[in-house]
Amino acid sequence: AMATEKCFAKGSPAPGPVPKGQLHLYSMRFCPFAQRTRLALNSKGIKYDTININLKEKPEWFLEKNPLGLVPALETSAGEVIYESSITCEYLDEAYPEKKLLPSSPFGKAQQRMLLEHFSKVIPYFYKIPSARRTGEDVSTQEVELKEKFAKLNEHLEKKKTKFFEGDTITMIDYMMWPFFERIEVLELKHCLDHTPELKKWTERMLEDPAVKATMFNMDTHKAFYKSVAEGKPDYDLGL
Amino acid sequence: LFLSVKCLKKYYYNPAPGPVPKDQVRLYSMRFCPFAQRTSLVLHAKGIKFETINIHLKQKPDWFLEKNPEGLVPLIETPAGEVVNESVITSEFLDEMYPEKKLLPATPFGKAQQKMMLEHFSKITPHLFKISSAKRKGDDVSGLEAELKEKFTNLNEHLVKKKTKFFGGDTVTFIDYMMWPFFERLGMFETNKNCLDHTPELKKWTERMLEDPAVKAIMHSTEDHKTFYNNFLDGKPDFDYGL
Repeated sequence: AMATEKCFAKGSPAPGPVPKGQLHLYSMRFCPFAQRTRLALNSKGIKYDTININLKEKPEWFLEKNPLGLVPALETSAGEVIYESSITCEYLDEAYPEKKLLPSSPFGKAQQRMLLEHFSKVIPYFYKIPSARRTGEDVSTQEVELKEKFAKLNEHLEKKKTKFFEGDTITMIDYMMWPFFERIEVLELKHCLDHTPELKKWTERMLEDPAVKATMFNMDTHKAFYKSVAEGKPDYDLGL
Repeated sequence: LFLSVKCLKKYYYNPAPGPVPKDQVRLYSMRFCPFAQRTSLVLHAKGIKFETINIHLKQKPDWFLEKNPEGLVPLIETPAGEVVNESVITSEFLDEMYPEKKLLPATPFGKAQQKMMLEHFSKITPHLFKISSAKRKGDDVSGLEAELKEKFTNLNEHLVKKKTKFFGGDTVTFIDYMMWPFFERLGMFETNKNCLDHTPELKKWTERMLEDPAVKAIMHSTEDHKTFYNNFLDGKPDFDYGL
């Protein structure tokens, strides 16, 4: 088992082969996309080892396994490599039948995928707005657009009258969205939730989830990491 | 059965269609849309019984926007009134709903491989649109064409490595149908006529795809694609062109 959470950089030795029946997760502790995969792994109780990657100085052995060099990536004991957060999550749900996160019906799955597609248009705002603020640009239009998108999500919850997006228990879509809401306060976008009470309540319920608790960082840690990124020297091992 | 009906527009005499008959699905489409073509290919390949309603994309009927506020095609509607949008999502939905002639592999990793290939391919399609739009304006496209060539080389390499006739094996699978509509339109995008010359396996793949029954059933000629696309870019799309 990996003894360290510290990230592997260029020149570091390659980890050994993945033991039978286990998984390697290539990750970065603060990456919201990698957190999606970690949420699925934790929620489903899957045994895995995490190998954190220095995203500025990627190890050669990592690029050999995964030419695009992105995290998250999964590696099985058969040497199969899977990347892209949503693809890794669907793979895990199909390969590990306990605690299904996706519904069994084709339409249920389609509903989850359509909601994910919607949300993929929300994600850019979590990057654009903070970035524009740093260069002193006016972000009022973009904030209005984000508020509209949050209003639509709020409406979804209102209409369905469920505690989570696709039912009264957490499913895949909740985990796919969560990492961005975890960072909403540190990104100074929390006020965009002011008129979306159901969405706000959803975030409070998510904070009670064991997988969320196991994978989240608090605001101070996120703040320190974002600061290091803004300064051009991301501290991937912050806190270790 | 595929019916070539004229597209339904936002006119008062276009009442909403009734519910979808019990033994089929309904595809809301536009005859020249490459994304809708993906779903149509899947329907044909799997032998699914379906009816098509074409939509005037500039004057969308109100009842269509009620079913699907984003107003995009393709859209699939089931007899139960379930509505699914997005070309890839509809295609996966159909493959899961209809067990005959599976287009996605049965294994989780096999499915993941197809989705990773699709993710790669999704970075190619914007290039095609950019090239044709830049050419129209008379801009220099050599940079874009070089990038496209590189991406085609990567696709070619995949086929060379795998030694298979199609992207997922020796029979046509999901990923081939997801990619095909854009290759059918290479002439329309006015990419360099020789853009497949250095990618012989990819060229052979296009020739094999042209033999596929589902592809043959619904394809348009380059000339028809060009005419439609030029009218579309001029702001005067003729969604019923050829009818």
